[in-house]
Amino acid sequence: MNRMDLYDGVTDIRDDLIDRAKSAPKRKRYKKVRWFGAIAAVLVLSILAVSFFGPGRGLTAYALAEAQYPQMAPYPGEPHSDKEFDAWWESILAQRRDLGDLSSLQDFFQNSTSVFLSDAEGRNKVYSPLNVYMALSMLAQLTDGESRSQILSLLGSGSMDDLRKQASDVWNATYRDDGALTSILANSLWLNKDIRYNQDTMDILARDFYASSYQGEMGTDAYDKALQEWLNQQTGGLLKEQADNLTMDADTVLALATTVYYKAKWDEEFSKGDTAPQTFHSPAGDMETDFMHQRQAQLYYWGSKFSAISQSFEEGGEMWFLLPDEGVTPQELLSDKEAMEFIFHRDSWENEKRLFVNKSIPKFDVASQFDLMDGLEKLGVADIFDPYRADFTPTVLDTDIPLAVSEANHAARVVIDEEGCIAAAFTVAADTAGAAMPPDEEVDFVLDRPFLFYITKSGLPLFVGIVNTPTE
Amino acid sequence: MEDAAIIELYHKREEQAIAESNRKYGGMCRSIALRLLGLMEDAEECVNDTWYAAWNKMPPDRPASLGAFLGRITRNLSISRFRRDRAQKRYAGMEVLLSELEECVPSPGTVEESMERHALADAISAWLDELKDADRWLFIRRYWYAEPVKELARVLNEQPNTCSQRLNRLRKGLRAYLESKGLET
Repeated sequence: MNRMDLYDGVTDIRDDLIDRAKSAPKRKRYKKVRWFGAIAAVLVLSILAVSFFGPGRGLTAYALAEAQYPQMAPYPGEPHSDKEFDAWWESILAQRRDLGDLSSLQDFFQNSTSVFLSDAEGRNKVYSPLNVYMALSMLAQLTDGESRSQILSLLGSGSMDDLRKQASDVWNATYRDDGALTSILANSLWLNKDIRYNQDTMDILARDFYASSYQGEMGTDAYDKALQEWLNQQTGGLLKEQADNLTMDADTVLALATTVYYKAKWDEEFSKGDTAPQTFHSPAGDMETDFMHQRQAQLYYWGSKFSAISQSFEEGGEMWFLLPDEGVTPQELLSDKEAMEFIFHRDSWENEKRLFVNKSIPKFDVASQFDLMDGLEKLGVADIFDPYRADFTPTVLDTDIPLAVSEANHAARVVIDEEGCIAAAFTVAADTAGAAMPPDEEVDFVLDRPFLFYITKSGLPLFVGIVNTPTE
Repeated sequence: MEDAAIIELYHKREEQAIAESNRKYGGMCRSIALRLLGLMEDAEECVNDTWYAAWNKMPPDRPASLGAFLGRITRNLSISRFRRDRAQKRYAGMEVLLSELEECVPSPGTVEESMERHALADAISAWLDELKDADRWLFIRRYWYAEPVKELARVLNEQPNTCSQRLNRLRKGLRAYLESKGLET
C-alpha cells in the first residue's frame, strides 16, 4: 500500500461523511487568535539594482508615465465577515498566472547565479535573479538590434512580444500587497529633461513592466533626492545606506532603477525562548551568534554534497537552506550540477523524506553591493555597455546621441529574525546531517558553517545568497 | 436546483444538467482541483472533464449525493493528471497532500498489500465515524476537500500550528487504526 492508495481510499469515503463536512463544526469560544502580527517576526528584506547611462542634462522630477499597481483587498483580520474573506481571496486569485514552461528562464536564473555568486570568497553575497531579470527585460524594451538580441538570448526569449508577456506574468505572479505579505517588484526610469524620449516606449514600460517614468534635471540634488526617496520608499528604507550613495550626474540620459521588496512572517514562528548563542564556524574564524531552534515534521532533502530543508512563510513563499557537507564550500555547490538542479530545476526529488527535523538556524543580516557589468558580459550581454555598438533607438527621439550603460549596481540585503531575543539553555546535538540517507525518525539540521539560501515566491527565485558570516 | 432535479436532467440527456452542475458544484470542484494542482488552466480542464465524465456516468448512475459524486470525479481526474504529468509540471498541492497521507500508510506486513480500494475506503470511513466532530471535519476538509491548513485553522479559531499538530495526530491515528484492522479485511 502506498500514498496514492491512501488518496484513493480517502476519495471513496462514504457520501454522508463528505456531505456533513460541508458545514463547519460548532466553534469553540476560547481565545481569539490574531492571524498576523502588526510587526513581522521575520523580515526578509530588499534589494535594489540601478543602471546608469551616459550623456545629458535638466529640472524637477515629474512623472511621464506612471505604473498602476493592482488593488488588493486587505488580508482579513479577526473577526472578519465572509464578504471580507471572499474579497481578499478574489484579489489573490486575480494575481495568479500560469507561467507555462519556465525552463529557459530557469537556465538564466541558474547561469547568472553561478556567475554573480561564485566570487564570494569568504564574504556574504546576495543576488536577486528576479530583479536582474526585470531590469534586463526593461533594457530589452529600450534597445533594438544586437543589443536586444543578446538580452533575449540570455533570457531564453524567442521575441520581444514573448518577453513582455512573460515579464508581465512574472510581475503579477510575484506581486502581493495585502497587509499580510509584501512582495513587490518595483521598476522606474529616471529621464533627463533636456532629451526627447519616445512616449510609446514609456507607455509600454508602464503597462507591461509596471515601471513609472520620471523626468527632471540631472546632476541636481533635488533630482538625486527624488531617486533616493523612491528607492527608500520601495525598499522600506532598509537599503538606505546603499540608496543614499546613488547619484545621477549631469551627463546621465537615463537611469533605470528596479527593486524587489519582500517582507513576510514565518508560517511557524521560532520560539523566542529557544534562541540561544552558539558557535558559527565562519571562514574568518569561529564566532558566537544567536541561533533559532525549532523541531518540526517536514520534508528533508539530501544530495551527494548537501542537505536541505525549506521554511515556509505565512501566506506564500518559502526560504530554502542548503547546507554543504563537511569540507564542501557554498561556492562548490554553485558549480555542482546536482545542487543547481535541486535549486533551479527540481520537479521531484528522489532523496527526500518526511522526518522530524531539529533545526538550528542562525539569525542573520547579510547585504552586498556589486557591479553587474562584468558578469553580464560573461553571460553574453555586451553591446549595451559599448557606446559605439549599443542601440537605444526605441528610447530616444534624438538618435544621434551615443548611449550606453555605464554602471549597473546591484545591492541586496536579506535579514531573517524572530521578534526579540531571550537567551535560553538549549543543548544542540552534534551535526549529523550529511550525504548519507538520514535516519528513520529524525535528523539534526545545524547551519553552523557557511551555507546557501534562496527565497522563492510562486516558484521563482527572489533572492539567492551565501552566508559566510551571519552578522557583519 | 435540487440535486434530484439535476440528476433527472442528466438522465433526460438535457445539456442544462451541466450548466446546473457548474452553478451548484462548480465552485467546489474548481477549488478542489486548484488546490491539488495549483495551475489555473489544468484545474479548469479538470473541472470541464468532470462534467464530461458525469455526463457519461449518468445514466445509469443515480448518486445519492451529487456533490460527493462530482467532487470524487474531480479528485480522480486530478490524481490521474498528477500521475501522468508530474515529471513535467509541479503540482505542489498534490505533492504536499500525498506527502502528508504517506504518514498514514501502514507499515509493510501489517496490512495486505493488495487491499481493495473499497475495503480501504470502508476502513477509513469507519475510523472517521469514531472521531469527534471537529476532528472528523478537519480530516475530511483537509484530505478530501484539500483545504489549506491555514483556512481550516481560521474556521476552527485555532493557530495554524495547533491545527497542523492535530492533523499530525490524526494521521498517526489512522495509520494505527489501519494496522490494527488491516489483517481482518
